[in-house]
Amino acid sequence: MTARPTHIGAQVARVEDDRLLSGGARFAADIALPGMVEAAFYRSPLPHARIVGVGAGDALEIPGAFGPFTAGDMTDVSPYPDFDEHARPVGIFPLARERVRYAGAPIAVMVADDRYRAEDACDLLDVDLDPLDPVVTTDAALAPGAPLLYPDWPDNVVIGFPVDNPDANAEFDGRMAVSGRYEVGRHTGVPMETRGVVAEFREGRLTVWSSTQFPHIARTMLSYCLPLDENDIRVIVPDVGGGFGVKAEFYPEEVTIPWLALRLGRPVRWIEDRREHLLATCHARDLVLDLEAAVDEDGRFRAVRGMAVQDLGAAEMYPFGYSPAFTAIGHITGPYRIPHQSVGLLAVATNKTPCGAYRGFGIPEATFAIERLMDKAADRLGIGRNEIRRRNLIGQGDIPYTTSAGAIVDSGSHREAFEETVRVTAERVEHWRAVLGDDPGIRVGSGVVNYIEGVTPTYFMTTGHWTAYDSCSVRVNPDGTAVVSVGVSTSGQGLESMLTTLTAEALGVRRDQVRVVMGDTDRTPYGLGSWGSRSTNVASGALRIASDRLLEKATRIAAHLLEASPEDIEAHDGALSVRGSPGASVTWQQVATAANIRTVDLPEGVEPGLEAAATYEPPGIEHVPDEYGRVNAAATYTNASHAAVVSVDTGTGQVRMLEYIVAHDCGTVINPQIVRGQVVGGVAQGIGGALLEQLHYDEWGNPQSTSFLDYHLPGATEIPTMQVLHFESPAPAMPWGAKGAGEAGIIGPGPAIAAAVEDALSGMGVAEITRTPITAPYVLSLLPTP
Amino acid sequence: MKPVPDPAGSVAVSMEVNGRTVERTVNSRRLLADLLRDELRLTGTHLGCEHGVCGACTVLVDGQPVRSCLMLAVQADGCEVTTVEGITPKDGLSPMQQAFKDHHGLQCGFCTPGFLMTLAGVEPEDHPDEESVRELLAGNLCRCTGYEGIVDAVMAAWDRSR
Ligand code: FES
Ligand code: FES
Repeated sequence: MTARPTHIGAQVARVEDDRLLSGGARFAADIALPGMVEAAFYRSPLPHARIVGVGAGDALEIPGAFGPFTAGDMTDVSPYPDFDEHARPVGIFPLARERVRYAGAPIAVMVADDRYRAEDACDLLDVDLDPLDPVVTTDAALAPGAPLLYPDWPDNVVIGFPVDNPDANAEFDGRMAVSGRYEVGRHTGVPMETRGVVAEFREGRLTVWSSTQFPHIARTMLSYCLPLDENDIRVIVPDVGGGFGVKAEFYPEEVTIPWLALRLGRPVRWIEDRREHLLATCHARDLVLDLEAAVDEDGRFRAVRGMAVQDLGAAEMYPFGYSPAFTAIGHITGPYRIPHQSVGLLAVATNKTPCGAYRGFGIPEATFAIERLMDKAADRLGIGRNEIRRRNLIGQGDIPYTTSAGAIVDSGSHREAFEETVRVTAERVEHWRAVLGDDPGIRVGSGVVNYIEGVTPTYFMTTGHWTAYDSCSVRVNPDGTAVVSVGVSTSGQGLESMLTTLTAEALGVRRDQVRVVMGDTDRTPYGLGSWGSRSTNVASGALRIASDRLLEKATRIAAHLLEASPEDIEAHDGALSVRGSPGASVTWQQVATAANIRTVDLPEGVEPGLEAAATYEPPGIEHVPDEYGRVNAAATYTNASHAAVVSVDTGTGQVRMLEYIVAHDCGTVINPQIVRGQVVGGVAQGIGGALLEQLHYDEWGNPQSTSFLDYHLPGATEIPTMQVLHFESPAPAMPWGAKGAGEAGIIGPGPAIAAAVEDALSGMGVAEITRTPITAPYVLSLLPTP
Repeated sequence: MKPVPDPAGSVAVSMEVNGRTVERTVNSRRLLADLLRDELRLTGTHLGCEHGVCGACTVLVDGQPVRSCLMLAVQADGCEVTTVEGITPKDGLSPMQQAFKDHHGLQCGFCTPGFLMTLAGVEPEDHPDEESVRELLAGNLCRCTGYEGIVDAVMAAWDRSR
């Protein structure tokens, strides 16, 4: 390697920002095509019903309205394939057939010249629904004789994965057992931009603009569902206003709108409104973990066992419906040396909005349970809550460490990050106690938790894609500028900037010579998209290999032009030079001109062109768990320690965030500002889920959280100042050692805030906090009645 | 059920948008946001909720921050309307936009025009410290940044030490 200055770790401006700041970005809702019509969906007002009939009613009185279109009209549409042979087949169909299983399920679609009229037309449809008994809780769904959501099934279980590991059970003989039932409530990603789909069918080709996180997967799914080959379909991802996982599902509207464009021969646009978003974009979490630990007298955990039960809602979410529950059991021991586990899962269908992916993806649920149990064991044994963690944490000497869930932890700073967090937190608590000390009704507390996060996970058996790879192609134009196209795509995290930096690093070109292309299936190689904190990892892996190949060729050309030996050529600052003789240098433009235009200048045996492609499949990933649920399902593992400092008003139960401390290790940091932004943004979302956000249903399954007036997102006054402490343990097997930072921040706040609230109220005889969100009424209910 | 009559009643309006006079005949129920976005193609104004909570649609009407999802286009008749396109210099960025860029005050950028317009319509002196800045910003939701970069940007642009 050369000693030239590196771009890695440098704080540089994002290339996305100018267009976003000036109103020049183009989101799905900004797309307008000649002759375009707009669509609106008629959605089920009932949680569970049989569809008797859909008639036009007075809808066609609306000028320019077409429709209604229903499942019965979609005779040329195939249901989604059911890939996972272990789960019950659902056969997702874009519009409801025969019955609806959640309020918000799309039944029919109307089209008109604008959205106002399309919505008017929907309001005037004559839809006859025959109500069925709703199934609203997992207990009700599992009760004998419960109404069945899917009449062909014997019960309401989508997938069951019982685990009974005798090694774990043996650890419970003669040891103290600590147990609890920990529940993370139903909430979800809620990006500020809702979903949107625009489709046009022209000259035998379908073009779909969709706010998806995985354009290539969307194209493949479209060709499963529509009578078109993949090369008849182009999926383009415009600017996306946040994804957070909820846009990494393939939704019914992504088939229906393209199907309408085919059927009508006109471009069709559908932009989800916020009410639809809260009803029809995937929900998440809603998981209860019954967990029991066998603990030695000195506080060392020997085994955990139990069961994760997820209220999945209707099972109509592809691909990630129940996958987060698997990820939860894969992370249940966190960064602790717990030799054995025996944790199964049950994903249960109910008449609620289907659950799917949301940042954190099962790990917040697992972390909430194990961290709460650690606190409980510490209190029971009279060991400090920090001390018990110290006794169980993985240390450097343990690495590589295989957790009892099968995760191979290849690197990390588990103890170092923890100790630093403990130290800083103690100082901050002292500060806040001094600031707030006078008011006896306001009490200050803190809690520290730890976790690991598997990043770049397998695309898992649930999806039919047994892989974790991604792809990249790099091309140098005759003028020396580079075009990099990748299979991942961005939803606002800054991937364009990240790839610009890495390309400049790899080729020795300037950042302003790099153009990144993503989110267009016609212009990028096949890839799995952006989710699972994978993009930095896999796209950088593929980029590294492709750019090494390209650089090797460029070096040969440069050596020939300079009459030097290829071994002596190095690339930096937009040029290729002979090491040690600065005058002997050719620009990328000269090299690329020889390769692309003046091939007479090429050395013998070198083919024209300056382009290379590569894929990168991270090593060591397993795709299917063994009978005890063990699987190394991710490429590598990040770690972090989080601490919440809160005050609690003992009169009102109100929890106020005072400060938040994160020690975070995602391996090599490419752009510190972007990594910090991901961490802080993730923590903010985690605080929302821990304190505020909840998707409520009434006892009949009617959704109660259908606007921002009753689904409360945290604002600027509810998110505290954060301290972010960076640790860097590069992933040994990854190019550049970068691990991925997208999801981590959201994992810690639930258990950290729960512990902090308990700490603030210590000595008052409060009951254990076992669920989120930790609302003021919930806090009050924990206090002993005076 | 009788069909709702299409409220096709249209009204001629005239307003100044980003310094340019605009004359249009608009459907009386059309939102100002939709007039700006769909008819004038000023798509920098975004819609995040359409019920007045998120602030993504904020524009200036006669210099005051207004939620364009809560205002009918006809109500803006005779007014001066300014959108994010209107506060962006021909070359480069305004000092506040530059501060957002310098302090990572945006990720996906969907909420950003709304924040910028809220800030464009207030007097910095009315928001002297971090707490009051946070209170000012509490009417705009951002799901990506956790507000840190946004608060940093405002404090820097308004020359406040933290
Ligand atoms: S779109 Fe106007 S406030 Fe949300
Ligand atoms: S930057 Fe994405 S919502 Fe604010």
